[in-house]
Amino acid sequence: MRVLIGKRAFLFALFVLLFVIPWVANEYQTFVANLILLYVILSLGLNLLIGFAGQLALANAAMYGIGAYGTGLLMTHFGLPYWISAPGGVAIAVISGTLLALPALRLSGIYLALATLAFAQFTFWLMTHWTPVTFGAGGFIPPPIDFSPLPVTQETGIYYLSWAAALLLYVAAKHAMESPVGRAFVAIRDGEVAAQALGIDLLKYKSLAFAMSGFYAGVAGALYSGLLGFVGPESFDLLQMVLHKAAVVLGGMGSVVGSLIGGVLLTVLVEVTKEFKFSIEIAFGGLLIVFVLFQPNGVIVFVRRLLPGWTERLHYVPPDKESEEDLAAAPDPDPDAAPGPEEPTRAAAAGPRGGDPG
Amino acid sequence: MEYLSYLVATGISTGALYALVALGIVVIYKATEVVNFAHGEMFMLGGFFAFTFHVMLGWPYLPSFALAVALAFAVGVAVDRIAFRPLMQRRTLVSVLLVMIGLSFVLKGVARWIWGGKGDYLTFPPLISPEPLSFAGIMVMSQQLVVLGAACAVMIVFALFFKLTRAGRFMQATADNPKAAKLVGLRTDRVYMYTFGVGSAVAAAAAVLMAPLTLLYPDIGFMLFVKAFAAAVLGGLTSIPGAVVGGFLIGIIEQLAAGYLHTAMQEVAAFIVIMIVMIFIPTGLFGLGRIRKV
Repeated sequence: MRVLIGKRAFLFALFVLLFVIPWVANEYQTFVANLILLYVILSLGLNLLIGFAGQLALANAAMYGIGAYGTGLLMTHFGLPYWISAPGGVAIAVISGTLLALPALRLSGIYLALATLAFAQFTFWLMTHWTPVTFGAGGFIPPPIDFSPLPVTQETGIYYLSWAAALLLYVAAKHAMESPVGRAFVAIRDGEVAAQALGIDLLKYKSLAFAMSGFYAGVAGALYSGLLGFVGPESFDLLQMVLHKAAVVLGGMGSVVGSLIGGVLLTVLVEVTKEFKFSIEIAFGGLLIVFVLFQPNGVIVFVRRLLPGWTERLHYVPPDKESEEDLAAAPDPDPDAAPGPEEPTRAAAAGPRGGDPG
Repeated sequence: MEYLSYLVATGISTGALYALVALGIVVIYKATEVVNFAHGEMFMLGGFFAFTFHVMLGWPYLPSFALAVALAFAVGVAVDRIAFRPLMQRRTLVSVLLVMIGLSFVLKGVARWIWGGKGDYLTFPPLISPEPLSFAGIMVMSQQLVVLGAACAVMIVFALFFKLTRAGRFMQATADNPKAAKLVGLRTDRVYMYTFGVGSAVAAAAAVLMAPLTLLYPDIGFMLFVKAFAAAVLGGLTSIPGAVVGGFLIGIIEQLAAGYLHTAMQEVAAFIVIMIVMIFIPTGLFGLGRIRKV
């Protein structure tokens, strides 16, 4: 029984459901399902950077935009087919992401957040004002994508491409985070100096974290340009940045499967909010506040309680070493805080709420 | 030459306002080691509060100014209570920043909801006749002179507050060494709360001064935040005189960039300054070298 309703079964059901959606759902529902797949990819990539490597970068929406613009512009300006422009767009996003790691080597915390924010706004400005190349604030329509040997429309083609990408990238993220790479990320997050003392090459792993998240965002962007058939700067503004953050926090920082759930929930919530004409800013800004304050581990905590067969390691947001000295006036943090990834699942799960029914 | 002096004069008067907003960022950063991401929203709300009293209710300018500043102080206190105090206990910088980002969007959404229905851009009536004056061959708008004078007055009041009042000295002590401040019996929690309040009040003062020169819209907060942050980081992020100098420099730099390079450069000059300063001179012009703590 435990195996039946465990994580594996849940994920299997989720991906099967997403696979059959284009056959059973209408056009709008399929579009939303495709957005779900993109947000899953985006929040996976951002979680690697924020939740695992602990780098508070605010440029994820810009990477997403660079992927979309790169793909669309290569198709429009050079007439390249999607099969070449999409990897091209992703490559541009990865390169920009890796370049962002350079300031990350010197900056941390707030400085890094604001340097990446400045980069993101600069990118947004380029999209809006570099009219000869990016077609300015109005955006542009990339040429239609030809899936010709396959008997599918652009919508179906992009949908299954996104499906496969989301599945592959999920599996890749999961395995990477369980490998030495993931442990190096967590070590850097929990203490850079300690990580260095353990022989972790900061240059290598920080660049890797930024490159990986750039790759994920770039893939999502390349798919987005094909999904929408239109690329414009307003899709990649600050609000988008907050949505990505909300997806990661909603699912659970430092939980790969949490990002999967976060991406799904966020997209559904965005559509619901739009449906009720409620302010997206208030809804998702508020969601971010409520979750960080009251449930920093995200909905994954509730999922664990509902599904006894679920075994997922939880990562508390680590105490911030840099500001520790100055905030030392505060009482000691929760003794359970910040279990390393190697800690037994039970200890982490018992947490302050002690609510592991399994 | 005349063009240049015109640009510099404009840069100085807008720079004075950036300096005011940057002051708030620096004061809060010095005390708490956190940059208030919602600081721009304090500016935006200050402007909208003043608009409500002055334009919608028809009150005179000065009472509206005072009330807007007082309300912004209250919002600043709320930021402390929501974003900083509960998370300070957990000592997680990333969480504090995420909550502040969330808060800034909530405030923006609320402003759009309350004031957004009245057109996207609200105009604030000018304080005095918009006749340009001529000073030794330099043309300046009289409005700008008033703003510059008032901004300097606010800065002086601010400096005196820090030097002379008990609350100001408590803030200085806490920023200097929170542990020692706590040991000698300062209620640092409360000092942090006042710090957020005072920072927001100064931002609101800047907004009420700027409102007659420009338009008010819910997104103005973020724009001002980035420029003020550029000013603060140029000045070293921990130095109050640095924030003032940085504010004037950013004001002048963006006017020159707009005047000689391209008008669209005005929007982006601050981002470029932030990136350059962060990468090449992370301690800014007046900042202390940062100590790497283990």
